[in-house]
Amino acid sequence: MDEAPGLGVRKADGRTSVIDIKGDITAASEPALMAAYEEAARQRARRLVLNFSDLEYMNSGGIGMLVTMLVRANRQHQELAAYGLSHHYREIFELTRLDEAITIYDDERSALAG
Amino acid sequence: MNHPAYPASQAPRPPRRLASFELASVPGSERVALARVAQSVAGLNLPSGRLENLKTAVAEATMNAIEHGNGNRSDLTVDIEVFFSGTEITVAISDHGGRGDAGWIDGGEVPDLARKLRGEQGPRGWGLFLIRNMVDRLEVTASGERRTVWLAMRTQAPQAAGPGQEE
Repeated sequence: MDEAPGLGVRKADGRTSVIDIKGDITAASEPALMAAYEEAARQRARRLVLNFSDLEYMNSGGIGMLVTMLVRANRQHQELAAYGLSHHYREIFELTRLDEAITIYDDERSALAG
Repeated sequence: MNHPAYPASQAPRPPRRLASFELASVPGSERVALARVAQSVAGLNLPSGRLENLKTAVAEATMNAIEHGNGNRSDLTVDIEVFFSGTEITVAISDHGGRGDAGWIDGGEVPDLARKLRGEQGPRGWGLFLIRNMVDRLEVTASGERRTVWLAMRTQAPQAAGPGQEE
């Protein structure tokens, strides 16, 4: 499995890659997040599943990074999904309406089945 | 540090100061701010959801103070004070950048994800939106070089009015 620096990228099946997010997602995360996105694109993923189980902190800059990733994914006709969000960050996804663009699941199994 | 004047609108009764500290205007100070504010209110039995909201608002307001208020000048501090009135926590976050107009709080575009995805807005610009939605009240005061953002949060969420109850 190839890994982007700081974030793991796993190929789950022929069309899905999982990006394992660890630690903080802020504006400073852009290089790592975009490298992970590129790695998933190299794996020819049509679905990108973001695993937030090990997320420690995300701020407004990190939300901006997710929007940037979403814009790129939309252009490439890729689907984004997520799981492992805490209650607080689920609320922030709802508040920002990110949950309407990134499908949220409770766990990896349901995310991969989705 | 000099303390900002506590606005009358924020004071249901004279508040008790729980913490007062300064941070350098450097990346990462917002993480220190949220941890120290959380520590200072630890004994107040704030429900966990409201504590997480307060931490997010404090971090965002501290980042605003560092970046927009102090212009990322590491020689300028961000001053943070935490007050408790008995039912409400107030956090005052002050910068010293001399951008003393309080009008910024009403300015700027409300972030709209659909417009961002269409490229009509930039991907960033969520900070003030998050602050507004995380706390019960937000106020800005300015005096000289100092601008202070006041974040107020009741220790309990207001109850929805039921039959026979007044809001």
